[in-house]
Amino acid sequence: MTRAAEQFAGLLKDAAALQERGQAALRALHEIGDVQVGTSEKARVCAEGKIQLYRYAPLARSAKLPPLLICYAMVNRPYILDLQPNQSLIRELLYAGIDVYLLDWGHPDGADRFTGLEEYILGYLGRCVEFILEQNTVDELNLLGVCQGGTISLCYAALEPRRIANLITMVSPVDFKTPENLLSKWAQHIDVDLLTQSGNVSGEFLNLIYLSLMPFRLTQQKYVNLLQMQGNRAQLEDFMRMEKWIFDSPDQPARAFREFIQWFFQENRLIRGELTLDGKEVRLENITAPVLNIYAAKDHLVPPSASIPLGAHIGSEDYQAMQIEAGHIGMFVSGRARKVVPTAIASWLLERRSGKKSPSGP
Amino acid sequence: MSVPANLFLKAWADHVTACQSLFEHVIDKSSGKTAAPMPLPFVALWAEYAGSLGMSGKTQEPFKPDSLFANALPALGSSREYQEIGRRVLDLSRRFQQRHAEFLEQGARVAQNAMNAIQKRSDADATLLSSPVALYGAWIDSAEQAYAQAAHDEGFARLLGDLFNILSSLKIERGRLLEHVARHLDLPSRGEVDSLHRQVRHLTSALRQTASPPATAARKKSRKSRRRINR
Repeated sequence: MTRAAEQFAGLLKDAAALQERGQAALRALHEIGDVQVGTSEKARVCAEGKIQLYRYAPLARSAKLPPLLICYAMVNRPYILDLQPNQSLIRELLYAGIDVYLLDWGHPDGADRFTGLEEYILGYLGRCVEFILEQNTVDELNLLGVCQGGTISLCYAALEPRRIANLITMVSPVDFKTPENLLSKWAQHIDVDLLTQSGNVSGEFLNLIYLSLMPFRLTQQKYVNLLQMQGNRAQLEDFMRMEKWIFDSPDQPARAFREFIQWFFQENRLIRGELTLDGKEVRLENITAPVLNIYAAKDHLVPPSASIPLGAHIGSEDYQAMQIEAGHIGMFVSGRARKVVPTAIASWLLERRSGKKSPSGP
Repeated sequence: MSVPANLFLKAWADHVTACQSLFEHVIDKSSGKTAAPMPLPFVALWAEYAGSLGMSGKTQEPFKPDSLFANALPALGSSREYQEIGRRVLDLSRRFQQRHAEFLEQGARVAQNAMNAIQKRSDADATLLSSPVALYGAWIDSAEQAYAQAAHDEGFARLLGDLFNILSSLKIERGRLLEHVARHLDLPSRGEVDSLHRQVRHLTSALRQTASPPATAARKKSRKSRRRINR
């Protein structure tokens, strides 16, 4: 047999094996059915409109830290932080003795189309903060903002600095106009007034945009890789949980979405110090609480260059940046991030317990 | 020189046939008669007459009913608003087709660049062709690289923006049409619902301002009462 023929025979053999593995994977997928997400025990402690505030049941003795409020993005569902028992940032924080609250923005509908960012940040988020402070009879809490929720948290912390003991931002954009930010480049030419004139922006539309950032990996390779799993049930369940989360994108309230795109993506007001909410200037230098800024080195949605500038704009003398070798979503589910991130957050908060702030360099 | 009367009669008969053709087109678009140009009997007669006077009276483009609605006549009569919406939708659809064709061209260029890249890689590393998995992985890498190069370009962003903006405009026109339909059927329109939303928001905001005490004061009060309980 010639070398070329041998090579061709090998190719056919590989292709046949691939097909067999794929069939096994598809058979197993049929058997899996629906998958469970966000399984950690929690109770709804406050609700207003579509917004719900949850408090998680403790899993360890209290570390005697101020309560931690997690403010997730509005563009996705927050259960990525508690995807499954062995992939749960929230569960790890509970194991560290932290009292965890989660703000769930819910699924906005047509009744929310005129609700602006001001109401979301100073209204809903502000009232959740007040509720937690009341419930715990404390004057300040720890705030953890994730992705867009980090940007929202920064705005809140800049306007209400006395409520914040410590601020943590994860994969949060601050400078929206950096050369690596593809999403921002595209957003510059979208007439967002026109886009939102006929109502809320659908989650499907946003998903399409996200997929368009890396179309070949996200619409093809991912599913080819799925066929490689050879019917491994645990792996397939993990895949399906992630798949469920990725396409579970809420519609965005028209006004808030328009304001976010115009004020942040198109005008970059936050970092330029030109943002006002409720007639008050949102000045990052007003943030004097300790800040931990965690960003992902391979983030295609919020590139590191969008997060890193935070340190140069806040008023806090206790600032720490932490880079994780992961992508945007890998920050919550990759093995490497799971080992490092919850521990880092817990240790950082513990170091600053009872005002014993010990600034440590990046 | 006069025009013979029988020519007018023939023109009238042709005109009736033309109207019949237009009517069939309006009620049954699947009849396939849209493609054929509609006869213009009176214009044809005038052209013949003008031609006999040594003037070029031939029309360059065959007349089509679609162009009558799209460009020729102003929106008139009781269906004026619908005609305007229809015209805008036609215009937007045409613009979308143009920009979408450019978008597809971009996609073809990305695919071609990716193919060129993978060709280079396989020339440099022959083992790539011996494994479908490796070959597929290389294809994805090359495709993403070629796509990223195009996607970061200002022209691509403008093209994408145009497509989104045209689709947004189409959605707005569709909404306007549905507003009319809802009114005719005595259904609540989006405009009415929006108006109610605004009123509810206003009332909620007013109620909140009058009902809730300042939060800090309430918390201080709560702490005092807690201290009292502890004692």
